[in-house]
Amino acid sequence: MSGSVRVFAQYDRDFDEVCDVVVVGSGPGGAVVARELAAAGKDVVLLEEGPPFTPDDFELDGSLSMARTMREGGLRTTRGTSMTTMQANALGGGSLVNSAICVRAPEFTLDGWCDEFELTHSTRADLDPHYQAVEDFLGIGPTPDAVQGPRNLLFRDACDALGYSSEPMPRNVVGCRGSGECFTGCRTRAKKSMDISYVPAAVADGARVYTSVQVQRLLTRGSRVWGVAGQVVRPFTGELLHRFRIQARIVVLAAGCMATPVLLQRSDDFANGSGQVGENLQFHPGVAAMGVFAEETHPQFGATQGYQSLEFVRDGYKLETLWAPPGVFAVRLPGLGLELKKNLAMIPNAAIWDAIATCNRSKGRVRARRRGLDPALTWRLDPKDLTVLVEGLWRLAEMFFAARATRVLPGVHGLPEELCSLDDARRIQTREFRETDFTLAGNHVFSTTRMHGDGRFGVVDEDGRCHETDNLYIADTGVLPRSPSVNPMLTLMAIAHRTSQHIAARL
Amino acid sequence: MLLWLALLALIAIGFRRFLVGYPAPPVGVTALAAREYETARAAAEVIYPKGGPIDASGDTAHVAMHSDRFVGAQTRSNRILMALLFIAVEHATLVFPARGPRGWRRFSSLSPDQQLAYLQGWQQSELAPRRLVFMSLRAILTMGYFADAEVLGALGLRPREILSPVLEVDLLWPAVGQHPETIRFTRADVTGPGTSTPLGPSGSVHRDYR
Ligand SMILES: Cc1cc2nc3c(=O)[nH]c(=O)nc-3n(C[C@H](O)[C@H](O)[C@H](O)COP(=O)(O)OP(=O)(O)OC[C@H]3O[C@@H](n4cnc5c(N)ncnc54)[C@H](O)[C@@H]3O)c2cc1C
Ligand code: SF4
Repeated sequence: MSGSVRVFAQYDRDFDEVCDVVVVGSGPGGAVVARELAAAGKDVVLLEEGPPFTPDDFELDGSLSMARTMREGGLRTTRGTSMTTMQANALGGGSLVNSAICVRAPEFTLDGWCDEFELTHSTRADLDPHYQAVEDFLGIGPTPDAVQGPRNLLFRDACDALGYSSEPMPRNVVGCRGSGECFTGCRTRAKKSMDISYVPAAVADGARVYTSVQVQRLLTRGSRVWGVAGQVVRPFTGELLHRFRIQARIVVLAAGCMATPVLLQRSDDFANGSGQVGENLQFHPGVAAMGVFAEETHPQFGATQGYQSLEFVRDGYKLETLWAPPGVFAVRLPGLGLELKKNLAMIPNAAIWDAIATCNRSKGRVRARRRGLDPALTWRLDPKDLTVLVEGLWRLAEMFFAARATRVLPGVHGLPEELCSLDDARRIQTREFRETDFTLAGNHVFSTTRMHGDGRFGVVDEDGRCHETDNLYIADTGVLPRSPSVNPMLTLMAIAHRTSQHIAARL
Repeated sequence: MLLWLALLALIAIGFRRFLVGYPAPPVGVTALAAREYETARAAAEVIYPKGGPIDASGDTAHVAMHSDRFVGAQTRSNRILMALLFIAVEHATLVFPARGPRGWRRFSSLSPDQQLAYLQGWQQSELAPRRLVFMSLRAILTMGYFADAEVLGALGLRPREILSPVLEVDLLWPAVGQHPETIRFTRADVTGPGTSTPLGPSGSVHRDYR
């Protein structure tokens, strides 16, 4: 059986559909559920607000790419502690424009989840078969040396010099050419983002995919949900047009950790007797620094994020290499005028590395605004988590000098614009920082509809089913009870895989 | 009566300060008002003056033009925020006057040296919100600067030509906004995965950036 994909140009009137399962959102969570259920012979409708992109649609210019692929033009920001956070608006969700990093959550982290959130089957051993299934499907493997490029290999050298563990980044990529363009879309099609992996597989198995449709509310009767309703939306302009309703036996919300709570709140606060919907918002805030080397690094070439170190994961942070559209990271280089140009001229000899922190103490919330579906976000960085970020920054500086960088540009207010030696870098350890000294970004987001064994303290159970209703499931990073300590996509897909098996078994 | 006169004078001064005397923006500018365009242009020229290791300036790299496209691609609420941002930078000379004669004039009317010192004041301010405003302005302008082929070329960062392989999915949907009838591929065109030869500095430059 083969399904179908509908795009914006094909809608000319209101429409209604009926299916077994409707999945809202085609990111890593929704795409896995849609495909697995379609493969199990269920009648699946997958709804996605964003359009599908072809390579011709990718904007190489970072800022215009962000404006086209990201919600709120890529400029979404938290209140409280100000931090930018990006959520995609495209078929494939974040996977279209992310770095494809796929790391299993460490055993200690999942054990911690089980203890704290009263979970009975979410240990690493429980999740391993699901991790494996996703890894096999996507061909996840370590990034080969041939496409690392100097800036990634220097990271490995630094770890070797300091005796820190490191490894080539495991990614859902096959045949990477090291274009460093993961954030604007993979023109080589090597990245197995959902739009070219799980979604077409779902279609091949009979799923009907509707793109450019915005779900606006759940259709509920008593404590059950019987479908979703919304409107067709014109790509890039947000103009709302024809109305639709999808009637389903089971509804799976996978609209992302920001959008799913807003949808529930907009639906008369459905499934929120616990008061937990939209609470517990967590991020992995990241700090990045630029090291400058005597030799050219040709930083544009090489896998976008090709190497990582998990050495300090137990201390609450993870170290990675990073590349982004130059206009995006150049914003943080110091100076103005000719002074700034001098700093920009170092880019051909530079490497950028980052530290992302677990930040389990720092929490916030997502609330629906008065109009529209964009969320109002509040979040505050806990002072203890700030010290973890500072420690991460120090490690980056230490590593840069271990790899023989001639200087490090930390991009942090209150530090010298350039650190020229390891001794110089020790100022990072001695200075008192405020959260506003850092330019933070956090694109890993979790826990706004968290999983908990006790329905009073969480929104869904371990199978992803809402505690308060029998036929509503959630399958996005909102269900992670807290940080997975590493990049979240693979863990989300493993959990979504488990959720789909549970739904298939009961239909 | 006196109060009315004072009010009228205030309105006239406000009108003059906020709206009058801005040059018309070039043809093709659609999202930025003349005054916003001028603020963006002046700031870009200060942040990225001509000369130095990358010769291109804000003007020659058409940064303000790019800012217009960037603002135009934003949501309504973002556009409002950006309009406020331009107003803040242009007129905060009333609160944080630039050093030198008549430092309270609007930003785009200051001398280049005053403009530089004024923006440095924002960049290095101890007030975090002030730094944030500057960072936002600089983000918009920097992204514009780095959209320019000459700037990217000076740093060896021009995107390379990549021939995207044709996959089965290319039979499923067209380019954004198009009807599926415009899908130009058939099953016979599907190439499967492309080459995995690593890209490098010797690869040919993308046609739009030559
Ligand atoms: C730049 C960037 C780089 C990243 N790099 C990595 C990485 O390398 N590895 C990693 O593990 N994580 C990475 N992440 C995070 C990762 O992409 C996300 O955690 C992941 O995409 C979350 O998946 P999701 O299914 O929960 O939500 P999303 O991917 O956000 O998908 C939700 C989908 O729902 C759609 N949607 C939302 N509202 C509606 C609605 N009302 N109606 C219909 N559809 C709707 C959205 O358009 C979207 O497609 C990165 C994120 C970003 C932004
Ligand atoms: S580095 Fe380039 S080729 Fe490799 S996965 Fe990312 S975008 Fe694709």
